[in-house]
Amino acid sequence: MAQSIEFEKDNFPGKKDELREARKQLDVGMEFFMEGKKAMDDYKRYYVGEHKFLPVSRYDYMDAGGEQFKQAVAPLGTAQKFNPNNARLNYAMGIVFFNIDHISDVALKHFEKAYQLDPNVEMDLCYYLGWANHLQSRWDEAIKYYQLYLTKLQAKPKLFAMDIDDIAKKISECNVGKELSAKPERVFVDNLGVNVNSSFAEYGPVITADESTIIFTARRDNSTGGVKDERNSFFEDIYISTKQNGKWIASKHLSKNINSNEHDATAGLSPDGSKLYVYRYQKKDGGDLYESTLFGSDWEVPIHMNRNINSKFHESTVSQSFDGRRIYFISDKDNGMGDRDIYFSDLDVKGEWGATKNIGNELNTKYAEEGVFIHPDGKTIYFSSKGHKNMGGYDIFKSTWENGKWTTPQNLGYPINGPDDDVFFVVSGSGKRAYFASAKQGGFGEKDLYRITFLGPEKKPLLGTQDQLMAMVANPVNNLKMEAAVETKSAKLTILKGVITDAKTNQALEASIDLIDNEANLVLATFKSNSVSGKYLVTLPSGKNYGIAVKKDSYLFHSENFIIPEGADYQEYNKDVALKKIEIGNVIVLRNIFFDFDKATIRPESANELDRLIKLLADNPTIKIELGSHTDSKGSDDYNLKLSDSRSKSVVEYLIGKGISAVRLTAKGYGETKPMDTNDTEEGRQNNRRTEFKILEK
Amino acid sequence: MKFIFTTLSLLFLVCSYGQDTIKIASTLTPEQQAELDYNQGLAALKRNEFMPSVELFNKALLAKPNFDKALYNRAIAYMQLKNYNAAKSDIAAATALSPKNPEIFFTKSLIYFNENKKDSQLMALDNCLALAANHAEANYYKGMLHYEMNDWDKAIDCYSKAIAANPSYAYAYNDRGSAKRAKNDAAGAIADYEKAASIETNHPFIYNNLGSAYRQQKNYTKAVESYNKAIQQDANYLIALNNRGAAKFENNDLAGAEADFEGVLKKDGNNSQAYNNLASIAIVKKDYKKAKDMSARAIQLNDKNGPAYFNRGIARQMLREEEGCCADWKKAKELGVVAAGAYLNSDCED
Repeated sequence: MAQSIEFEKDNFPGKKDELREARKQLDVGMEFFMEGKKAMDDYKRYYVGEHKFLPVSRYDYMDAGGEQFKQAVAPLGTAQKFNPNNARLNYAMGIVFFNIDHISDVALKHFEKAYQLDPNVEMDLCYYLGWANHLQSRWDEAIKYYQLYLTKLQAKPKLFAMDIDDIAKKISECNVGKELSAKPERVFVDNLGVNVNSSFAEYGPVITADESTIIFTARRDNSTGGVKDERNSFFEDIYISTKQNGKWIASKHLSKNINSNEHDATAGLSPDGSKLYVYRYQKKDGGDLYESTLFGSDWEVPIHMNRNINSKFHESTVSQSFDGRRIYFISDKDNGMGDRDIYFSDLDVKGEWGATKNIGNELNTKYAEEGVFIHPDGKTIYFSSKGHKNMGGYDIFKSTWENGKWTTPQNLGYPINGPDDDVFFVVSGSGKRAYFASAKQGGFGEKDLYRITFLGPEKKPLLGTQDQLMAMVANPVNNLKMEAAVETKSAKLTILKGVITDAKTNQALEASIDLIDNEANLVLATFKSNSVSGKYLVTLPSGKNYGIAVKKDSYLFHSENFIIPEGADYQEYNKDVALKKIEIGNVIVLRNIFFDFDKATIRPESANELDRLIKLLADNPTIKIELGSHTDSKGSDDYNLKLSDSRSKSVVEYLIGKGISAVRLTAKGYGETKPMDTNDTEEGRQNNRRTEFKILEK
Repeated sequence: MKFIFTTLSLLFLVCSYGQDTIKIASTLTPEQQAELDYNQGLAALKRNEFMPSVELFNKALLAKPNFDKALYNRAIAYMQLKNYNAAKSDIAAATALSPKNPEIFFTKSLIYFNENKKDSQLMALDNCLALAANHAEANYYKGMLHYEMNDWDKAIDCYSKAIAANPSYAYAYNDRGSAKRAKNDAAGAIADYEKAASIETNHPFIYNNLGSAYRQQKNYTKAVESYNKAIQQDANYLIALNNRGAAKFENNDLAGAEADFEGVLKKDGNNSQAYNNLASIAIVKKDYKKAKDMSARAIQLNDKNGPAYFNRGIARQMLREEEGCCADWKKAKELGVVAAGAYLNSDCED
């Protein structure tokens, strides 16, 4: 075994001056090192007091001692150059580099050297050797050193009870890492590139459901205000990039409405992309959540979320359900399961966020949870945690709502997760891709944003083989075995998007869009189109009969119907809507009026559409309308005429029953005489079967 | 392939369905001269001398214009000469003279078969079977038509009728076995192939198909044994060699599979299937560059090779050539590879 060489003159004959200088540098460096170590230890004590367990990941130390460690690098490096074989110096340099850049393997090399020279130079050398190997995914080596350290701790089990728990957790993480990295997930993990990432830290991505826009947090040197925080890092700002021709364009700051001189970080984005949740930090509130609405192309000044959400503690990421009625968020408020937990809150009758509830111990642990994301299907939740079946630091987990509870969180596996922090995971509407932040090697610096592409199960190649019929004339039979369906990672969605304009002027309109569950006769959510572009985007989970009503004052409403069967594949519909003014002659198709088959009986799921019509008539008491009913060309002319006539009368009777004056209403059955589409296809016939109203008088 | 068929068919027709030789009288009247010409024409037809046979039948028909047998046999000769219009014209004339002769309809079906006019072929076979429901060959060919249309149940029914009419009909057993295999009835297929092999002991096709049925049952030992028999009977039978490679591949014997596919390419450097199968091995070994090259070569040699497009799509996906990958799966789907449609849906944008 090599021996540690002390900085003594007997060890360096004839190098008196160089030794003197090296010792001087060693003393200076060691002083910084000791200060840094003390800051770390102090912070560790504080952390233990708060949490009752040791810091789990490197980031838990909040860069304590960081500045001192940085100042120690140069003098210790000079001393090391003179005498590379001093165990204690190598140990110190290991600690210094481990705290400055624990991703690189420089620290590990110093720890290994120190161990080679004197394995007992410091009691916790094996701890750091274990951890540095752990972070390099050298699972077996890590376990070996953790075990050695554990043996030392077990000599005084009461004194080191917390350390023993910590090491047991880390050994467990290594075993999980070993298991999961042996069976890597079939994904591509791609850095989002130089237009999004920089040499500074980028994290907290949020993405529109169609993946056309990404908004994220960065700590760049062009941060608003241009100053640094107490950790000597630039304050957080929020940036945006959009996709053009399949590529992200150069990111830019969001406006000063969003970015202040303090910390401004992304916390979440509503599924329709119209609400941005922002994290802002002030010492007195521990970090709170704010909500900003997109107005045209700019985000409005964020509004502080109410006291049900924000507390004196730290609140961070938010994820909103597809209908906007529930949010999930992170808080380390009192009475949780420990550290940061996932909470949720529902909108109350006044449209305010109601009392919050802890999501429960299926997902929350005594360790921290972060980066919660509820998929628009409402049943799949993604979050990061340090307390489940982890590989190290925060890992990303998935759980689904089944039989009234959340399933056991499932680690998303390697290479999505690694031994370091993997956090802020968001999934695209299609479920084919996800985005997250990671400090992987090979990035542009610190944390970068990455895209995950899920490849599904292994694709088996197809052999070409042949049977032969005796006459040798039949087509050879290729052995084309049918493969099972690809499991996609999440439930299927339909994305409805488009532009709302004035039918006459083509001007973009800010209109409200009601999303209705026709069967439950319930307005699920109300969205707004962008005030400048008129653009809107609505995500529709499968398994419902949806009514869509587009409304704006002084315009006739426009309705659409989407019946999306359970398990329907992901699809995107572009539906531009041209709203018509309330003017004589204008005709509107009522897509959400349904009748019993071959009858004039109005089905209950028509109620919402009819109520909308009633409101229109009530708001505009002078207008008179004709209710026209149309059929497709199936059946005889006479039959269709009678059926349509009965149906239009049914609608008129319904309206009269709801208090609309009969003199304002005319019923007319058109049968199959006025098709608006072909009768040769089912889709065309469906379009032709319709009820519409026409303004007769104003 | 086609050539082999036509040769087989010719023998089959002349031996089984050419009209019998007519007894010739001792003094030659014009009718007797016609009969003499007819007989000489028939002898030429049996010797595969098609043009001379046509000329002799012409002479016979000049002397006796309503000579239905000469018309019929001339139709056969024309068919062998690929003069299908003339063949059909003679068949039409023969049908008018002998509307109840099922063989005329059967020959007509074979003309349509050679023209690849399946609807007309089926109609002619139905006409034949309406006159002779137990016509073994008509049932066999009708079964083959259904087989080509992937209508396995109807194919099996027709082959079964052919076997009922001729219990030693090895071809029908073999092809019924293939129809059963297509229906995933590997056990039924094995029984039929075994029966066919007991009748036609030296036919490599049957052992090849038997091997494939065992492969379907994942009985790779038996599969390789059967393919071995096929290869023993015909050392240049590359389909069996390729299929043996497939059996070894499916049995995770990648080295053995590779040797067989390479063996195919040694004998036929332009074998598209073998290149594609080497691509399959490369995919399993995660050598996606090689997989792409091999499947590209397979496509170059046969641009209708659906599995090759499918495999190149897999390789391109792993090589991050997203557009090329999706284009390949799209093409594979068009060529009937069902799994390609699923991947297009799950992994490709619209």
